[in-house]
Amino acid sequence: MILMAAVDDNMGLMFNHRRQSRDRLLRQRILALAGDRTLWMDRYSAALFGAELDGHIVRVEEDFLAQAAPGDFCFLEDRSPRPAEEDIEQVVLFRWNRTYPADLHFDLDLSRWTLTCSEDFPGSSHDKITQEVYTRA
Amino acid sequence: MHKLKRTILPFLLAVILALSGCENLTPQQQAAIDLSSLPEYSGQAYVELNNNVPFFTEEDLTSASFEEYSPLDELGRCGTAYACISTDLMPTEPRGSIGQVKPSGWKIAKYDFVDGKYLYNRCHLIGFQLTGENANEQNLITGTRYLNVTGMLPFENLTADYIKETGNHVLYRVTPVFTGDELVARGVVMEAMSVEDKGDGVLFNVYCYNVQPGVTIDYATGDSALDGTTDEGEQVSYILNTNTKKFHLPSCPSVNEMKPEYRQEYDGSRTILEAQGYSPCGRCKP
Repeated sequence: MILMAAVDDNMGLMFNHRRQSRDRLLRQRILALAGDRTLWMDRYSAALFGAELDGHIVRVEEDFLAQAAPGDFCFLEDRSPRPAEEDIEQVVLFRWNRTYPADLHFDLDLSRWTLTCSEDFPGSSHDKITQEVYTRA
Repeated sequence: MHKLKRTILPFLLAVILALSGCENLTPQQQAAIDLSSLPEYSGQAYVELNNNVPFFTEEDLTSASFEEYSPLDELGRCGTAYACISTDLMPTEPRGSIGQVKPSGWKIAKYDFVDGKYLYNRCHLIGFQLTGENANEQNLITGTRYLNVTGMLPFENLTADYIKETGNHVLYRVTPVFTGDELVARGVVMEAMSVEDKGDGVLFNVYCYNVQPGVTIDYATGDSALDGTTDEGEQVSYILNTNTKKFHLPSCPSVNEMKPEYRQEYDGSRTILEAQGYSPCGRCKP
């Protein structure tokens, strides 16, 4: 699977069971990256996208990390990626370039991965979001 | 003023009850929040209150923007700052000078290991990025750099970015907590709840400590001194990213990806580094 997630400067994902931040242009980019391949997420994330998911190949399951097949995209917000680490082929990390409070962190050890691409783009409400792509070292 | 009384006094009562467990409160107790039941600062910039649920009542929830600041008390201290924030209150111009304001307990104190060197900031209760309040003396307290940047700013960022993205309102209240007649707040209570989605987007209730690692503060006067810990501890070698304020192991892959202008070698105390606002890299976890 190709795992996508958005993190703050401290690799935070959530605080008090809520996402740290959101951005419409980031969601558009996620859907564009998935293209005509299957994009997996859970109900919490699907509610964020709402009607934006129309016309895309999306599977919404609570155990989406377990069900995703090789080559599928997964968007993760509210859980650790570590249980699925062996199945992750690539990580696409979006950095908010902001510091938010966090009590759930993206805890994959990326020092064992290779950063192959880094690109900045403006969000709808964030000055600069950085997209990083990691592949297995 | 009527609304101020209607909203702030019940809140103070709730905070006192939550923090002290007292049920029979005197007017004097209402004027000062008991900190005895809060844990001492132990490396975490904030602690959660009331399971992160604010002390707002149902009738407080409104989608009409407003901002209210308490008059200074007889000691010149700030009280609660309270607002319902949306994009219409957010600043449209850069922040101006606030140096003319001298909050209660204000002292100039410099320490080399503090980020920016100055121990104290004029610390906005409701951050400038939220309501655009500039040199409002009713919204500025004497706060450490650590309180300002490590404690409060992440919550302000979370709130501001939610509002900018959704256009929704966030009910937002910040209360400085003083002990007795002390002039410097021990900390601040920060509460927030997004209105239109009833807290699905933003919901927190935290107490942020007005401390600075490595420094002892006399909260009665604002005087300060080294606490001795900055000279102790193992000397370490890290690579700093002066842009992201992260420190890395020299072997960290991020070091090679760092722009040269932001790369800086560091040999010294980790305590001092953290007091300067640096935090460990999430990749190499030094």
